[in-house]
Amino acid sequence: MLKIRNLVGGYTNTPIINGVDFEISKGEFFVLLGPNGSGKSTIFKLITGQLPCQKGEISINDKSLSSFSKLEKAKKVAVLSQEVQISFDYTVEEIISLGRFPHQKGLFKTLSVEDKEVIEEVMEITKVKQYRDTQFRMISGGEKQRVLLAKVLAQQPEVLLLDEPTNHLDIKHTFQMLDLLKEWQQTKGLTIFAILHDLNVAALYADRIALLHKGSFLDVGDVDTLRKESQLETVYEVKVNAQSHPTVPKPQLLMTPNHSKTKSELLNFDTSFSITKNDQFIHVQFESPLRTISNGVIGEGIQWLKHFCNFHVEKHYNGSNPKQDLQKWMEKYEIPFEQSVAMMTAVRLEDVVIVTKQIEDIKVIAVVTAGTGNAVDITNSSLSQSHEKVGTINSMVFIDAHFTDGALVNGFMSATEAKVKALHDLNVKDPETNTMATSTSTDALLLAVTQQGKETQYAGSGTVVGKVIGQTVYEATHKAVQKYFHRLQK
Amino acid sequence: MPNTFIRKFLTNKVLWLYVLSGGFVLCTALLGLLISSVTVPIPTIFTIIITNTVNSFLDHTVNLFITNTLHLGLLEDVPRNEEMIIWNIRFPRVLLAFCVGASLALAGAAFQGLLRNPLADPYTIGVSSGAALGAVIVIFFGITFPVLGSFTLPTVAIISGFVTLFIVFGLVRLSSRSLAIETIILAGIIISAFIGSIISLIISLGDRESMTQIIYWLYGSVAMRGWGHVQIIIPFMVFGSLMLLVHYRELNALALGEEAADHIGVNVKRSKIYILMGASLLTGAAVAVSGSIGFVGLVIPHLVRIVTGPNHRHVLPLSILVGGSFLILADLVARMIIAPKELPIGIITALIGAPVFAALLIRERIGRGKKNAKD
Repeated sequence: MLKIRNLVGGYTNTPIINGVDFEISKGEFFVLLGPNGSGKSTIFKLITGQLPCQKGEISINDKSLSSFSKLEKAKKVAVLSQEVQISFDYTVEEIISLGRFPHQKGLFKTLSVEDKEVIEEVMEITKVKQYRDTQFRMISGGEKQRVLLAKVLAQQPEVLLLDEPTNHLDIKHTFQMLDLLKEWQQTKGLTIFAILHDLNVAALYADRIALLHKGSFLDVGDVDTLRKESQLETVYEVKVNAQSHPTVPKPQLLMTPNHSKTKSELLNFDTSFSITKNDQFIHVQFESPLRTISNGVIGEGIQWLKHFCNFHVEKHYNGSNPKQDLQKWMEKYEIPFEQSVAMMTAVRLEDVVIVTKQIEDIKVIAVVTAGTGNAVDITNSSLSQSHEKVGTINSMVFIDAHFTDGALVNGFMSATEAKVKALHDLNVKDPETNTMATSTSTDALLLAVTQQGKETQYAGSGTVVGKVIGQTVYEATHKAVQKYFHRLQK
Repeated sequence: MPNTFIRKFLTNKVLWLYVLSGGFVLCTALLGLLISSVTVPIPTIFTIIITNTVNSFLDHTVNLFITNTLHLGLLEDVPRNEEMIIWNIRFPRVLLAFCVGASLALAGAAFQGLLRNPLADPYTIGVSSGAALGAVIVIFFGITFPVLGSFTLPTVAIISGFVTLFIVFGLVRLSSRSLAIETIILAGIIISAFIGSIISLIISLGDRESMTQIIYWLYGSVAMRGWGHVQIIIPFMVFGSLMLLVHYRELNALALGEEAADHIGVNVKRSKIYILMGASLLTGAAVAVSGSIGFVGLVIPHLVRIVTGPNHRHVLPLSILVGGSFLILADLVARMIIAPKELPIGIITALIGAPVFAALLIRERIGRGKKNAKD
């Protein structure tokens, strides 16, 4: 559709763009990314014709763009840039009807019936109909940009060129506008070439991206090209982490500010937290957030959190929405649930076991409550899920170390392995199969790491930190299960 | 369907505006013909004008037929001096006033649209001064180019106006990259002041009589011009108006800015040249026949825009009608106010125009203020 061959050009004789090649196929959303001064706008102006090409060729459907007359070109290509200043008090509809300029025929060049139909349609789609007789300068920035989009769509172009069209817009209007464009792209086969500033927005909407660096393309490809962190770091000179969007299979990028790298002083692990214990809950509160991995009812996944709670529930608690219940209780005790991991147990909280261990300079604290009424052998159990007896093992493990996300998962495994060993050594059995149990049916575990000291990638059984985790969890679980047995015997 | 109703009402509104403006032109023209030291009855005025108009184009028998069917009196019954006053003095004067007013208002509307600048008009951007300089030189030195004959004056005025326009734009280009509103006006005023001093120099070099003549001419007037001047301005006016009217869509598109206009298919460079040439043609011709008359080009398009909105499809033709009748009216005031003496018409337009324009500026600011308060 749009083909660019060996494009060279710039404002002066020394070209800013030095030999750029790319091709955009019909119905594709192609986004050009790059920092300020990389030449994005120059490429854009070379394509729109505001700057003359010094070398190379731009063609649409294999026909050179320079061979088009202004009107022919305007029928094929429309341009939407950042908010423009419009002089005089034109109404919204008058602005939109300017989009029909290249299509108007006849001696007097008035708006034909077809022109009017197109204008109605684009006003409908961009939802600006209610402003049609309002003066353009009286509407808000987001609405203005929608009106300009309607004008561009009224042009009925095959190719749409966008120069940071969402620059002044808030999140609502940015997404509204891009959703509209995406829809038009998909339903009408519109080809879109866009400059966008926001990498994450680009990742959500682009079909393909090009990364511009010092006047030439560093990389071109689908949005997963954005997962190449080191490449982005070279271009933008900011530390970048690529993550996945939680619900859409697209990458999202997280930037790390420079100032956060130099932490003023180290946290004293021993005094950096406080524990509240009563019949209702155990609440461990840290001064600053810890990197946390957990399967708690609240605060699941990998996050940065400060509050860690274990709530007592009745033996036959069977809430249909445990998350909501927990939130309610936490509100009551003024624990901010957005910054918390919260678990539930029917075990008596006075039986909690807290074990602290230090080997070399690695310090680990484990806080465990245990009940084994629901003990299950995961390898040998029937598939029924009717477990209503007391008993779950809830473990919180706090570590003074610096883990990568991989090390967090590693540590999670280490803690689980230690728990299984403890159950094994205490001869806990699955009552149904009468074989050795590996867990209870609803165990919860959290690992919270201070992220101080040297970063480590591994926390499995082959590492010191993995062993410390294992030994601490083993000891705590062992004691907690024993306490549970004692209580049963009473 | 309240929407379609509103739309119908709007188109009707525009239609009524044309009818109203047309009526305004006829009324002011009639007043201009009627009011003077010698009162001629209205039917006689009609007889004189229709008969003479038809006479200049058609055969005498057809003429008689028309006057009979319209139940008009015969020209032969009209006293000769009345016919002289109406046909040779008042009618060309009214026509000339209309042409000058229409040309200046249309040129102003075009300059404002092209430069996206509500303060632009032939005066503020210096075209009038340039044209005046050319005209003064022609009048003062009595120059006549053999090929052009009586068209020497307007041709020189138009060319010198156009050259001045380019000097002003050159100055703006050199001082700032964008055609900013303030810069254009500033450059226009600088050039006008410079040209003014050149004119003063020419005046001071001449004798007392030509000095009064030029100064009076500079104030602007449509008095004592006769048919000769009407014939001079009409071809330029028709040509210049056509050049501007066919570019109404481009003028609308240019409101988006030159880049955006280019993106919707406007040949910006070519349109700009045509519009500037058309507007200069109108200004130069108007200045050549009537001297410097200010504020018409500034105020009239503003007033029209308030009523019709900024769409040049209506702003341009309505500016012609309103501008023309405004100048007929101003001329009427100029010769009535201290009758039997006459004031220069430029004084009247400035006396009316300046306060009106000031009021418009204040109104604009209040409008903006309201808008900001809304935000």
